[in-house]
Amino acid sequence: MNWIDIVTIMRDEWSIIGILILLLAGEILVDKKQLSMLIPIAIGLFVLHTAMSFIPGDKATLFGGMYRTNEMMHFMKAILNVAVLIILFQSYDWVKTTLLPNGMANAFYMLLFAVLSGMYFLISAGDFIMFFIGFELSTLPIAAMAAFQLKEMRSTEAGIKLVLLAGLASGIMLYGISLMYAVTGTLYFDGFLSAYYHEPLLVFGFILFLSGLAFKISLVPFHFWAPDVYEGAPIAITSLLSVVSKAASVFILMILLLTVFKDLSDAWKMVLYILAVLTMTIGNLFALRQTNMKRFLAFSSIAQAGFILLGILAGGAVGAATVIYFVLIYVFTNLGAFGVIQAIKDESGKEDMTDYTGLYRTNPKLSLVLVLALFSLAGIPPVAGFFGKFFLFSAAAGKGYYILLIIAVINVTISLYYYLLPIRAMLLRTSDTPIPTTKSGNMMRIGLLICVAGIMILGLYSPVYSFVLGLTQSWL
Amino acid sequence: MTERIIFYILAFIMIVFSLMSVTSTKIIRSAIYLLGVLMATAGLYFLFNLNFLGAIQLTVYAGGIMVLIVIAILLTHHVGFGLPVPDKKHMILGWLAAMIGITISFFQFTTHTFKPKIGNLDDRVSKMGADMLHYGDGGFVLPFEVISILLLAGIIAAITIAKGGIPHLKKRLKSGQPTTVSSSTKKQ
Amino acid sequence: MGNEAIILFLIAGFVFVFGAVLFSKLISPKWDTPRKWDPYECGVETIGPSWIQFKAHYYLIALLFLIFDVEIVFLIPWAVAFKHIDSALPFIEILIFFVVLGLGLLYALKKDAIDWD
Repeated sequence: MNWIDIVTIMRDEWSIIGILILLLAGEILVDKKQLSMLIPIAIGLFVLHTAMSFIPGDKATLFGGMYRTNEMMHFMKAILNVAVLIILFQSYDWVKTTLLPNGMANAFYMLLFAVLSGMYFLISAGDFIMFFIGFELSTLPIAAMAAFQLKEMRSTEAGIKLVLLAGLASGIMLYGISLMYAVTGTLYFDGFLSAYYHEPLLVFGFILFLSGLAFKISLVPFHFWAPDVYEGAPIAITSLLSVVSKAASVFILMILLLTVFKDLSDAWKMVLYILAVLTMTIGNLFALRQTNMKRFLAFSSIAQAGFILLGILAGGAVGAATVIYFVLIYVFTNLGAFGVIQAIKDESGKEDMTDYTGLYRTNPKLSLVLVLALFSLAGIPPVAGFFGKFFLFSAAAGKGYYILLIIAVINVTISLYYYLLPIRAMLLRTSDTPIPTTKSGNMMRIGLLICVAGIMILGLYSPVYSFVLGLTQSWL
Repeated sequence: MTERIIFYILAFIMIVFSLMSVTSTKIIRSAIYLLGVLMATAGLYFLFNLNFLGAIQLTVYAGGIMVLIVIAILLTHHVGFGLPVPDKKHMILGWLAAMIGITISFFQFTTHTFKPKIGNLDDRVSKMGADMLHYGDGGFVLPFEVISILLLAGIIAAITIAKGGIPHLKKRLKSGQPTTVSSSTKKQ
Repeated sequence: MGNEAIILFLIAGFVFVFGAVLFSKLISPKWDTPRKWDPYECGVETIGPSWIQFKAHYYLIALLFLIFDVEIVFLIPWAVAFKHIDSALPFIEILIFFVVLGLGLLYALKKDAIDWD
């Protein structure tokens, strides 16, 4: 291993940390009145960073096994980059009008990039120390960002709730890791289980460890923080939590379960089965009765996380490919929905479902984007969401999870109802006090356009799935 | 033998203090009991000859974090008041959960045969530092550097949250509005 | 030998501390006036409750102190190991660590987080 290797293999990490340091230096050097010039610099540098992450990566292990990467992990990081890029575009107006006057705009970007670098290290972790540091780095700054809207008490409340419960989750997870370490005597993922997978203490530690990750993906019954935090936090942070953070945690959960804890599959398959049923059902039932759009999407994203577990349960290269493919679609779909909510909130300050009545008459374009996103979330063909769910379900069916599949299909049917409610309100109803015609900024338009393009292209253009399958086949 | 006695004394102190810390209804007393737990933990480290770890436990936890907790308590309005005693249902459920946790852990720990680590533990600080700076097998240079990013994110987050609200708070104070708003009740 | 000494000190410590408290309780004269329970403040009667709300700024300073406290924890092993390693690597590694946190300190200064207004 030489220094050139370290620079080229870890180029994603170096580049994001470089941008972070550059912004920090900028904040220190630039005069207080000219801080607004850092916003285009941050976005521009991140566009370059995202473009660079599409250069395929190689399989490598660095730092004695603490850092490992391969083509699949590199692709996962690219997915996260695209998601963060969309969030950057969509939050541009909000940052300019709300954060900049308080001098918080640059901190928003710095913390966002710190979180992203934490997610890189989380995905590329080769041992539990790096895993835990990545886990913390990708959680704690989000808690601060959730409290960014200092004028609103709900935002502060969201931040405190997130930081307290995240602390509890990492405490439980750390306890689990220490128990597993007590049994195996090593923290490296390579050869972690080798001869110990039948020890009860290890299984006990593993369950505690799994609870910590389940908290981050907000699986039922570890989901209690999610609705309140999603509702109280600024929309950009809500989309960060419900899309990017969830995607990164799903990726690392899949990587760990399918490789490191492969021998424990008897234990985790049972646990995951129960979690999947609970998450799908309870997420859906609560989503039915929500009236706030953010809270509604929060419960819907809890339910979606339940579907993802089907792919992990199926396992193997096919299951892994369906999970990555579903997450890729989920990124565009959910960010599209959140983007529309952000655009309307920026303009009118409204986020209740009743306010959306008759939206089509005043804002036809925005409401069409939202309809497309909701169709995709519901899984209606020809939109991308249908294929994501279809591949997940067929992977689960291939492994014989028929009862689970029936429960999932029932849940999809229930979800159709509540996804169609706002669509009906927007398209078919008229309102006496409709939301006035909004004119979104160019940045927001680009963000929404990327989402729409993603939803359409992934639905109609099939080679993406076979590309992902090729990646996972070379991984497993 | 004597080691064993000291260990049990320290363990007893830890258990008693942590129980008192979670059951006390006066928040400042809880904090002081927690200090007892942290000190006893440092004692355990010293007992196992992990001197550097014990010193860190004292400086960071008993020193830094306790200062932080005490200041956080002093920031609140009702420092001297007692917390409300939780109702019976929550008490019973809480104790039940704790008992289940203790039982499971107890059986797991007693039935598992722990393998002692072969060889002496090299706990010299210089060895620790060399490991920390080593980048090959068994080295910890990557976590060491990533932690600096974590601490940096902590600095930025803390300053932004604490300082970002000030213009807005000043405006509120000028216009005579109350600076605190009661939080809305949540529905599930 | 070492452990016996520790036990001896432990017992001696307990005896001296609790013995002193117990002894003073036993021999001290006991009478009660309401004034006696007042917090002592230079002999002047206290005005208002003695528990007062602190300025929120203390918390920020404590938080920054804690972060740099943790930094010191990482510096000590480096400083001890530094002279045993004869290459430029440890220096570069600590330089990265230092620059990152030093920029954090500069950021705090720029944002007036350590100022007292």
